[in-house]
Amino acid sequence: MFKDVSFGQYYPINSPVHRLDARVKLLSVILFVVAIFFVKSYFGFMLTAALILFIILLARLPIVSVLKSVRGILLIVLITAILNLFLIKDGEVLVQWEIFVITKGGVHTTIKMVLRLVLLISGVSLLSLTTTPVQLADGIESLMSPLKLIKVPVRDIAMVMSIALRFIPTLFEETVKIMNAQKARGASIDTGSIVQRVRSLVPVLIPLFVNSFRRADELAFAMDARCYNATDKRTKMKKATLRFADFVAAFLILAFFAVILLERYYFPTVGINIDAKIFGGLL
Amino acid sequence: MSVVEIKNLSFVYSKKTPYETRALDDVSLTIEEGEFVGIVGATGSGKSTLIQHLNGLIRIQDKKRSSITINGMSLSDKKYLKKVRFDVGMVFQYPEYQLFEDTVAKDIAFGPKNMKLSKEEVDERVKRAMEVVGLDYATFAERSPFDLSGGEKRRAAIAGVIAMQPQVLILDEPVAGLDPVGREEILTLVQKLRREVSKTVLMVSHNMDDIARLATRIIVLKDGRVVADGTPKEVFISGKIEETGLELPLAARIAKNLKARGFDIGDAITPDELVAGVRRAMEAKHV
Amino acid sequence: MDGRGVLCYNPLMPIIEVKNVSYSYPLRDGVRLKAIKNLSLSIEEGEYVALVGMNGSGKSTLAKLLNGLFEPASGDILIDGINTKDEKQIFEIRKRVGMVFQNPDNQTVATIIEDDVAFGPENIGVAREEIVERVDEALRLVNMSEYRARTASKLSGGQKQRVAIAGVLAMRPKIIIFDESTSMLDPIGRKEVMQVAKTLNESGITVINITHNMEETAEATRVIALRHGRLALDGTPKEVFASSILEDCGLKLPPARQIATELKAFGLDAEDVIDEKGLEEGICRLLK
Repeated sequence: MFKDVSFGQYYPINSPVHRLDARVKLLSVILFVVAIFFVKSYFGFMLTAALILFIILLARLPIVSVLKSVRGILLIVLITAILNLFLIKDGEVLVQWEIFVITKGGVHTTIKMVLRLVLLISGVSLLSLTTTPVQLADGIESLMSPLKLIKVPVRDIAMVMSIALRFIPTLFEETVKIMNAQKARGASIDTGSIVQRVRSLVPVLIPLFVNSFRRADELAFAMDARCYNATDKRTKMKKATLRFADFVAAFLILAFFAVILLERYYFPTVGINIDAKIFGGLL
Repeated sequence: MSVVEIKNLSFVYSKKTPYETRALDDVSLTIEEGEFVGIVGATGSGKSTLIQHLNGLIRIQDKKRSSITINGMSLSDKKYLKKVRFDVGMVFQYPEYQLFEDTVAKDIAFGPKNMKLSKEEVDERVKRAMEVVGLDYATFAERSPFDLSGGEKRRAAIAGVIAMQPQVLILDEPVAGLDPVGREEILTLVQKLRREVSKTVLMVSHNMDDIARLATRIIVLKDGRVVADGTPKEVFISGKIEETGLELPLAARIAKNLKARGFDIGDAITPDELVAGVRRAMEAKHV
Repeated sequence: MDGRGVLCYNPLMPIIEVKNVSYSYPLRDGVRLKAIKNLSLSIEEGEYVALVGMNGSGKSTLAKLLNGLFEPASGDILIDGINTKDEKQIFEIRKRVGMVFQNPDNQTVATIIEDDVAFGPENIGVAREEIVERVDEALRLVNMSEYRARTASKLSGGQKQRVAIAGVLAMRPKIIIFDESTSMLDPIGRKEVMQVAKTLNESGITVINITHNMEETAEATRVIALRHGRLALDGTPKEVFASSILEDCGLKLPPARQIATELKAFGLDAEDVIDEKGLEEGICRLLK
């Protein structure tokens, strides 16, 4: 059941993308997420997809690993798509049956919405696929460090995040083990009605909680034993220093952002014209 | 009719991903009623994938080629799934981590209740299971399983499985993490269970001394294949164990070393046999 | 050598001194479980101690008392002369006493191996260049250098525990406590970890191995057995195995010694046998 969950799983190879500074990657992803909401034309989506594809190739990631992250939200995408398809009434009516109406505008909005979500998740998953949880936490800590001035415990927050990420695979494994053990005693987790299946989660959740608290306890001891919180002047083995590649990446993502904005607000006709050329009468 | 029949069983994890691993590779074997089978192999040799197939926790991947039958029921057939889970009891590693009810008796009743037995029958089975594992009903039934000692928790968890009165009992490293006296108690319990509850027992263990002493048959797995299968004596004398990177039992190691040094005391795999071998050699010396 | 240092050094001072220590846990409704009762013992620098006893005898509690994770309710514990009750010095104690726990998955903080090893030195504010040095050295000592940039989740149990040991070594401890660190490992993993423990002990580190495995116990130079939070046995493996209260402590003779005992009738000197090698030699002498 949880075997294929790959979202948030670091893909351990050494590529130019993996080597980028986590802060640059974090900011880039934020910029990317903002940018994608400005994309309106198919041309814009193609540009975005090209960027994602370029990064995937550069990071030498198998396409499957990115698609798996997308699969995680497939249900949400599907439901939103269906709602959009029937609720948006705009332009030429394509299908009408009873109360269900599908319009041309609805179809296009739906397609674009799906594209937007898929590209969004792909982009965000690139971050977790190419950045270790520790780098991520360090990056967030570093970006949030101005908040230390107003007494926000930035370091502890970063630690909590990185530990949470580190334990996701462990807890999934544990869940599978407990589920198997209860199934072996006849629990209806993979058989029986929906009600039965939901009720049968109790024997899984209780041991999972108990074991998680035990783990947390042990981890706390292990961290204390290794002098966690010994000094405020905690040092870092890996100092993130910005290298040339980081500036190139930052420039690229800014350029992308600029192109998207320009395409949307200053040269809206470019996208529309290209869309028209490719799709012709379909629009 | 054999209790367990496995034909050409193969299994691949994470198929078509960079993490693809072959856990089982064309495994065929049959297990007869009354056998005590020791399943050994290094970590990652496929032991746990194999045993989880036996009660349908892992579904057969290639139904055309592979088949598993338990008491004549084919596991490729979904309608037997539940029945097989009750016929094949599975005690996982560290089973105490799966306790969840607020009293010991309720936790043990979980399996029998899932079997849709009558309330009287469930109570009867809980009492019987607790008695067999040595947890006094009056003392322990109403206590929280989380307040028990380590050894008691493990026995409560085992009771939760044998309350289903499975014909085949599978135990994965049942003594892991226990102190020497606790280990001995659980191993004695396993033998008792074989006499009184489940005639056929499969035990996964890294401890060759335990296996040599208890099992009637040993199956050795390596890289998902069965590389040796026979009585403990056959398997431990065949030299196959060393090839898989595992250790011989203590007695066998000593007998082998003695032989290399010119003292042949015959084949020995258990302490008793080693002692008997030394006795024979001593007597021969005096003649 | 610095003359002052020589003056300060007292070769007679044990590295661990436990004086009349008691400790209890709160259970529920104000009930407390007395885990350690008026315990006194001392351990010299460089010793290899097996700490044994049945589940719940107080072994792990003692381990946590030794590096200040718990504070004695009464009595004192001195590590290298520092009292564990001295809150200002608590991290000096934790630097000196490293702990390797039972479950390798519950003691790794970071996903990447070298990051995890660096966790301790980072916590105590070691300079960056030195952290790198320490991580290199620690991974080399446990033979895991080639894995440094990998993720820990893909390792075998034995390898994970070696990484945990490296994490402790990076603090440059004087004492390492193994708290049932081999109990979840297969025989190969167990051997890997025990080999590392032995090598570290030979390099001068004091090793305390909490274990249920009697073969591991036989490898120590000294065995301390606890029973109900009290000191029950303390001596060389030979002395402890000869004790009549061994089983009362939840212990058994190591398998080799059990066999030797049965061969006593043939003239084998069973008291001399503590491990496999000894048993083999004993039988050879019998048959010669």
